Amino acid sequence: MPKPSNSPDAGRRNFLKGATLAGAAALATPVAASTEAANPPGGSAKATVPGPRLAAAETMPPSKDPVTQTTSGGDFMVDVFKTLDIEYLAMNCASSFRGLHEAVLNYGGNTKPEILTCPHEEIAVHMAQGYAKIEGKPMAMICHGVVGLQHATMAMYNAWCDRVPVIVMGGNIIEANKRGPGAEWVHSAIDPGAIARDFVKWDDQPTSLQHFAESAVRAYKVATTPPMAPVMLSLDAELQENPIADAETLKIPKLSKVIPPQGDSAALAELARMLVAAENPVIIVDRVARTPAGMERLVELAETLQCAVIDNVGRMNFPSRHPLNQSFRRTILRQADVIVALEVNELWGSLNAFSDRIVRSSKPNYKQGAKIVTLGSRDLYMKSNYQDFGRYQEVDLTVGGDAEASLPILIDQIKRLLDDGKKSAFATRGQKLAAAKLAAVEQAKSDATIGWDASPITTARMCAEVYSQIKDEDWSLVGTAIRLTWPHRLWKFDKPYQWNGVSGGAGVGYNLPASLGAALANKRHGRLTLAFGGDGDFLFAPSTLWTAAHHRIPILYVVHNNRAYHQEYMYLQAMAARHGRGITNTATGITITDPNVDYATIARGFGVHGEGPIIDPKDLGPALKRAIAVVKTGQPAVVDVVTDPR
Amino acid sequence: MNRFTMRLIYVSVLMAGAVAALALSPAALAQNTASGDAAKGKLIYLADGCFTCHGRVGQGGAMNYPAPAIAKLEMPVESFVSFLRDAPNDMPAYSTDVLSNEEAADIHAFLQSLPGRKPTKDFPLLNE
Repeated sequence: MPKPSNSPDAGRRNFLKGATLAGAAALATPVAASTEAANPPGGSAKATVPGPRLAAAETMPPSKDPVTQTTSGGDFMVDVFKTLDIEYLAMNCASSFRGLHEAVLNYGGNTKPEILTCPHEEIAVHMAQGYAKIEGKPMAMICHGVVGLQHATMAMYNAWCDRVPVIVMGGNIIEANKRGPGAEWVHSAIDPGAIARDFVKWDDQPTSLQHFAESAVRAYKVATTPPMAPVMLSLDAELQENPIADAETLKIPKLSKVIPPQGDSAALAELARMLVAAENPVIIVDRVARTPAGMERLVELAETLQCAVIDNVGRMNFPSRHPLNQSFRRTILRQADVIVALEVNELWGSLNAFSDRIVRSSKPNYKQGAKIVTLGSRDLYMKSNYQDFGRYQEVDLTVGGDAEASLPILIDQIKRLLDDGKKSAFATRGQKLAAAKLAAVEQAKSDATIGWDASPITTARMCAEVYSQIKDEDWSLVGTAIRLTWPHRLWKFDKPYQWNGVSGGAGVGYNLPASLGAALANKRHGRLTLAFGGDGDFLFAPSTLWTAAHHRIPILYVVHNNRAYHQEYMYLQAMAARHGRGITNTATGITITDPNVDYATIARGFGVHGEGPIIDPKDLGPALKRAIAVVKTGQPAVVDVVTDPR
Repeated sequence: MNRFTMRLIYVSVLMAGAVAALALSPAALAQNTASGDAAKGKLIYLADGCFTCHGRVGQGGAMNYPAPAIAKLEMPVESFVSFLRDAPNDMPAYSTDVLSNEEAADIHAFLQSLPGRKPTKDFPLLNE
């Protein structure tokens, strides 16, 4: 078969041509190579023209045990991926998809998709999650039958909760009589997708190549339709490996993406009236911006109304230093008369204060009587088992539709209702909010001064030192540790790619690999990618660093090393205090000390530049400088910063 | 694992009460009769895990909600001890079974001894 060019179309043409020729040859000369039949025992193995193999191939009847083939189902699968413009296939190699693996390399030329070698399936899925949020399109991953998929599932759940499209594939051997003894049995299942069905949007196990083509295109379409989510395809090994029997009938269907649905125009008009009439409207956002246009539209909406925006930072929704960004002044909800939630998954959590005490209780943190409106795609698709939807929040108006797609209509409706009086009132409101914003920033700076020279280093100092080094670069912060708020309090985020959200499902082990996936997407744009990550998170998948080094993905990864699973430290302290005993014992099972982990040495072991452990804050700036210099050469670097807890 | 949502924005009315309770009023300052041992207090503060929420230098932190900065605490010691015995919201309450009045006073003295915040103009990195 001719080596395909890098052009998807050319590759597909080549594949179809080769498949057709092979088929035609088989029809015209129904032969197969059988070396044993062609070489009688004891006979000369030395061929003479035309030689026994060729003679056998041309004259002997088909063998029941052919040893070569000219096509494979995996080749066709590669053509499907090229048609879908899948750029990467992240994987931890395994026999159940050896057919596809080989086809990607030798038929597909290891481009579109290019293989990303990952030492763990969680890394592969999380890389795809981080990549999709920056690049705006999914990548694929493939894992081994059963056990590989079991490794992948937590990351799939994170992507599900984060509304991120990931194309997950897994190998399998469907037919029992085709499975070899041992591993092929324990790594096969009659319904592999069952383990993940609660947190994928759609899954299938194709039984023919045409079935695969249609399901792959459908999977892409389903995954990228809001609300977005992972999808899964189980790939039969025989289907990947064996010759194509029906090449002339195969067709790759055209992908027609779903246009993200806009909210009902009458409902948006009603919402516009409510917002214009309100004295203190507040907008809460979480995963609004799914394209760079999202932030721009949200800014236009807020500025048109001169109203407060509270950003839950599930995406890069709103500039951090914008005068209307009131994310760190949530008490303004108590003055709000209209609250609009845009693509907020768990609104109840944003509108209620919850007490984690012996008797758990809650109370609204918004003014009673305030009108509450939701606009988003969340209500359009939901599953029951896993409870990521949160507690039911009463609202006055629910508008189903993609918020980003609906904003132009809403903004237009609002502008139609404005007169000079309204504009003047809005401007006055905006000025007050701007003053409050300035005060909040100054408060953050003042807070950051506490313990500035302390060791372990305060998280405020760590974040200030990092910002000082990257602020003049084209930077993109793609990860953070739990509750590390300093970047959003102190830094100026104003570009659509400068933030990449969080894990979604709070599954620890997300941050390092997802940040690397985002860095992969940023690489082509020449951005300086950086991430903070907790030490506990780091230890779930440290071999991500090997992938970073192997594929030369530049990223500055700053380990927020508080030497503990710190959230649990506080919970355990609360339990001990509640029980009136042992409040000095709570480090056991919590801290990551004795021995202290040396993350820089770990990094070096994986072929990554490592700095640290940095204990004295005066050493941090120079270490960051050295690390960034490495990143600018296209390589990853880790800086281990020994920090105070939060 | 974290039992609650892993969100970045934590400013909450829940902790507002705690912050207010820890803030200084002139009347409270006048009644401040702290007599604890700051050096002992530091050891207790670290051993008893106070630092896990409020930081080793009292800079504050976050659990489910922000934990306020308590460096250079100006709350009177009596109020501080009372606060610990019946802490509001997510703040654990520390009974005399685990923390004596004397130990609490030592912690109070330590917190008072911390330098606290400084003028931001003196920090070039915070003005970039």
